[in-house]
Amino acid sequence: MRRNRTKASCALALVLTLGGTLTGCGGDGGGGSGGKVSLRFTWWGNPDRAARTDEAVKLFEKRHPDIDISTSFAGFDTYKAKLATQAAGGDAPDVMQLDYRQINQYATSGILLDLGKHPELRTSEIDKGLLATGVVDGEQYALPVARGTETVAYDAALWRKAGVPEPTLTWTWDDWADAMRKLSASKATQGRVGSTDPGQSEDVFEIWLRGRGKALYAKDEKLGFTADDLTRYWEWCTKLRKEGAVSSAEQTTQMDGTVENTPLGRLKSVSDFNWDAPTSGYAAIVGEGLKLAPLPVGEDGTPGQYFKPSMFFGASAKTAHPKQAAQFIDFLLNDKKAGAILGATRGIPANDAIRQGVLPKLEGFDQVISTYQKQFEGKLKDPPPAPPKGDTSLQSTFSRDYDQVSYERLSPREAAENYITEAKAELRQ
Amino acid sequence: MTATATRPQDAAPPATGGKRAPKRERQGAAWVFLSPWVLGAAVLTLLPMAVSLYLSFTDYDMFDAPQWIGFRNYTQMFTEDPRYWRSVITTLTYVVIAVPLQLAMALAVAIALKSVKRGKGFYRSAFYAPSLLGASMSIALVWRAIFNDGGSVDNLLSGMGIDIGGWINRPGWAILSVALLTIWQFGAPMVIFLAGLQQIPVELYEAAAVDGASWWRQFRSITIPMLSPVLFFNLVLQMIQAFQVFTPAFAVSAGKGGPADSTLVYTLYLYDRGFTASHMGYASAMAWALLLAIGAVTAVLFRTSRAWVFYANDNNEGGR
Repeated sequence: MRRNRTKASCALALVLTLGGTLTGCGGDGGGGSGGKVSLRFTWWGNPDRAARTDEAVKLFEKRHPDIDISTSFAGFDTYKAKLATQAAGGDAPDVMQLDYRQINQYATSGILLDLGKHPELRTSEIDKGLLATGVVDGEQYALPVARGTETVAYDAALWRKAGVPEPTLTWTWDDWADAMRKLSASKATQGRVGSTDPGQSEDVFEIWLRGRGKALYAKDEKLGFTADDLTRYWEWCTKLRKEGAVSSAEQTTQMDGTVENTPLGRLKSVSDFNWDAPTSGYAAIVGEGLKLAPLPVGEDGTPGQYFKPSMFFGASAKTAHPKQAAQFIDFLLNDKKAGAILGATRGIPANDAIRQGVLPKLEGFDQVISTYQKQFEGKLKDPPPAPPKGDTSLQSTFSRDYDQVSYERLSPREAAENYITEAKAELRQ
Repeated sequence: MTATATRPQDAAPPATGGKRAPKRERQGAAWVFLSPWVLGAAVLTLLPMAVSLYLSFTDYDMFDAPQWIGFRNYTQMFTEDPRYWRSVITTLTYVVIAVPLQLAMALAVAIALKSVKRGKGFYRSAFYAPSLLGASMSIALVWRAIFNDGGSVDNLLSGMGIDIGGWINRPGWAILSVALLTIWQFGAPMVIFLAGLQQIPVELYEAAAVDGASWWRQFRSITIPMLSPVLFFNLVLQMIQAFQVFTPAFAVSAGKGGPADSTLVYTLYLYDRGFTASHMGYASAMAWALLLAIGAVTAVLFRTSRAWVFYANDNNEGGR
């Protein structure tokens, strides 16, 4: 009997120790083996970006034999949720790719390292306005990697066939609406509407607002517009939708973030709003006739469009090796060879010198996008600062509220009031 | 090994009176063998549950420390959030449509399969397969494609002159396509029904046939009452599952619960609050409200079951 009992306690002890060891294993973060510094670098993207990133990382490791970089990546939504969980658990990766809408939240929560304090990291070749988008409370928490801007992608062949004048750099929102009406009415477009209903897109609304001298967010992180502004915008979209100039609710609701499921991608419209980088996806569907036009300007000629940082690099405030993390980010952003390897895989580079080097080598639609961006050089206003924390879900709230308008469950006024109420709650005002 | 060897002696009549030591000993061994499960349950289930209960009384955005706000999440949920109630109504609609139809389907197919003589195995696996596959994201995406505007279901219907223009783009129709996906996965309850049907003594049907009872009469007076425990089991199980529906609604609406919030089922809204809007405290409160609601509905079902569930040995045991 006694022997049995000892055996039992031994087994229990064994199980407990095993459990303890297993949980103990998870904690090993920085350290690294054999005197090597090891850094974790995570980002979102696709296999093409992965191949180029790994190549750049290898080059960095060759130049810094004492630093070991382990990378991992995922699709954007997965990445966003995973990073938030890691950050919440105090286990953010040493170097991470960040989105515009994450910067403020991560910076104010003390997750990001102040990169401004690291001289290893040079920022002189990045446009000042663009650089400022990574600043929160006066500290440079993140650095823009590349820039993108919005565009009206359109089927130029159909557009010409319909006899509608093609867009210019200075077309206004009224010109745009007129063009949509004419396109929809024309026989040449074979029953397609002019455009996707812009009512569901917070991005387009922002450009429209900026054309009127306003913004999504004011300086003090409050809303930069009123329910009246939003009501006016949604009433205008509703009018166009009822006239049949833009897509119906049933068509608009099928959008899921992919190019294929937009009305233009489904060949139900002649044009669509999008960021410039993903528009290459339309080329495969629409064909040769695809062209990129600027977004309309305000009635007094104020451009609403801006260069937006498409993504950022930041480092963890808790990293054991801030110096090496800064070196690595510097390499990714400023090194000529790294720039040549990475190309436009994260968008047209924000670093002026790298961009000059990369542009001539671009192929296919990347070339179209870079030419499209070039015409705005020096003509656009500065991008807004990073959106305030709490804004993360407002983009989807925006399209959800408009959904209620386009399915005629709420009036534009009611939906706008709803949105403002929710936005104020999210921003804790 | 010694433990198994001593077992016969230990397993003999339960210890009575002064024989306490061996009993405690047996318990010790039991705990050792249970320890992986106990550890798992404690670390992976009970602890997270406790944390989630705590979080449901806080404002927590995953970044800053949770702030205790008492019942604020709950009051906001019940009194200030119209979308919360929209999600409750959507879920109830879904449960009321999907569960009875799924069970009816399962029972009908089970009865049909019972009399199949040749290719039994084939038919059973064919009808069971959707249950294995159906919960996956890929099937839900296929569902989205065939019920979409220009998808095969839409084309078939408009060919017949019924032009809906894509189920998933119409509020009112979209939730039906989600329910259909659930109904289609009737395999699991079907298998249980089959087992139940085979338990019913053939003599009952023979006797009824001799008395001239029609098929329908036999079904009502023999099959249903004899099957009622199995029916009850399936009902409770499927209902609990239906309340937690997520994947099909997520896939059919591309994660948005649209159009116009018509597929915003409870768990989808919970996911949205937690992972899109980073309101973990609010999401936890929603999870606890769901747990309590499912508990309450299950309790009510158990209550009503006394009136309609009959166990074959009722006479012997006196209404258990």
